[in-house]
Amino acid sequence: MAADLTAELEQLHAAAFGWALSCCGWDRTAAEDVLQASYLKLLDGRARFDGRSSFRTFVLGVIARTAREARRRSALRRWLPLASVVLGPEAEDGRPDPATALARADDTTRLVRALERLSARQRQVLHLVFYEDLTIAEAAAVAGISVGTARTHYERGKAALRKLLEKEQE
Amino acid sequence: MIERDDHQLRKGFEALRREDAACTPPFGATVAAARARQATVPRHRALRLAAAAVVAVVAVVVVSISRERDGVRRQIDLATVRWHAPTDFLLKLPGDELLRSVPQLGSRGLDRRTL
Repeated sequence: MAADLTAELEQLHAAAFGWALSCCGWDRTAAEDVLQASYLKLLDGRARFDGRSSFRTFVLGVIARTAREARRRSALRRWLPLASVVLGPEAEDGRPDPATALARADDTTRLVRALERLSARQRQVLHLVFYEDLTIAEAAAVAGISVGTARTHYERGKAALRKLLEKEQE
Repeated sequence: MIERDDHQLRKGFEALRREDAACTPPFGATVAAARARQATVPRHRALRLAAAAVVAVVAVVVVSISRERDGVRRQIDLATVRWHAPTDFLLKLPGDELLRSVPQLGSRGLDRRTL
C-alpha cells in the first residue's frame, strides 16, 4: 500500500515540483520545503486520498494547501514577534533567492516574469491548465474555487498574460 | 488569433516545464529529506510547546493582576458615587415603618394602636 503510494508519487514528482515552484513564486528552496512537507502529509496519512478526484488533482491540491500554510506562517512570523518562538525558525523569506534561482532561457524568464505580475489565482489557474494539462474543472478543484470563478480567472489571466508578454517583447 | 495565442502560451509553458524538469531534485532525495525533517520535528515541537506554555502562563498572570487592580478601583468608585434624587421623599409613605417590621401580637404598643 505504502509502496504503491510512493510509486504513484514518484510518477508525479516532476509535475509536483513544478507546481510547488509556481505556488512559491519560483523560489526553489521554498518549493522544496513545501514539497517535502506535502510528501510527509501524504506518506503519514495526514492527507488521505478518498477517490473523489484523480490522484494527480488530489496531490496538487495538497501541495497548494501546504504552500498556503507556509505563506500564512511566514506572514505570522513577520507580524508577531513571539510567533517565531512558537513556530520555529523561518526557512525562507518568500522571495526568490538568487543563489538558488533556476537557470532559464530568455523566453522562459520573460514568461515567469509576466506570470509573477498576474494575480495569484490567475497564475494558479493558468499554470494548472497549461503546465499541468488539467481541465478548468480540475484546476478549480485544486485551487479550491468554483468552476465559474476558475473560468473567469483563466480568461482574464490569459488576456493579461498576452499583454504582459507583448510588452516584454517591445 | 486566440487559437494561435493559446498555442504560443502552451509552447511557453512546455518550455518552462522542460526547464523545471531538468532541475527537479530526485524523488528519493526529497522523500529522504522529508523523513529527516520529520525526525527532528518532535523535539522542536516539544520546545515550541514549552515556550508557548510559558507565554500563556505569563499572559494569564498579567491579566489576573490587572483585573485585581481594576476590581479595587471599581469598589472605591462605587462608594463615592452614591446619588440621591431630590424627589426621594415622595416615595416615603406615612407609617411605612409598620411595613418594614413584623408586628408582635399581644404586645402593648400594638394593643394601643389597634384598640
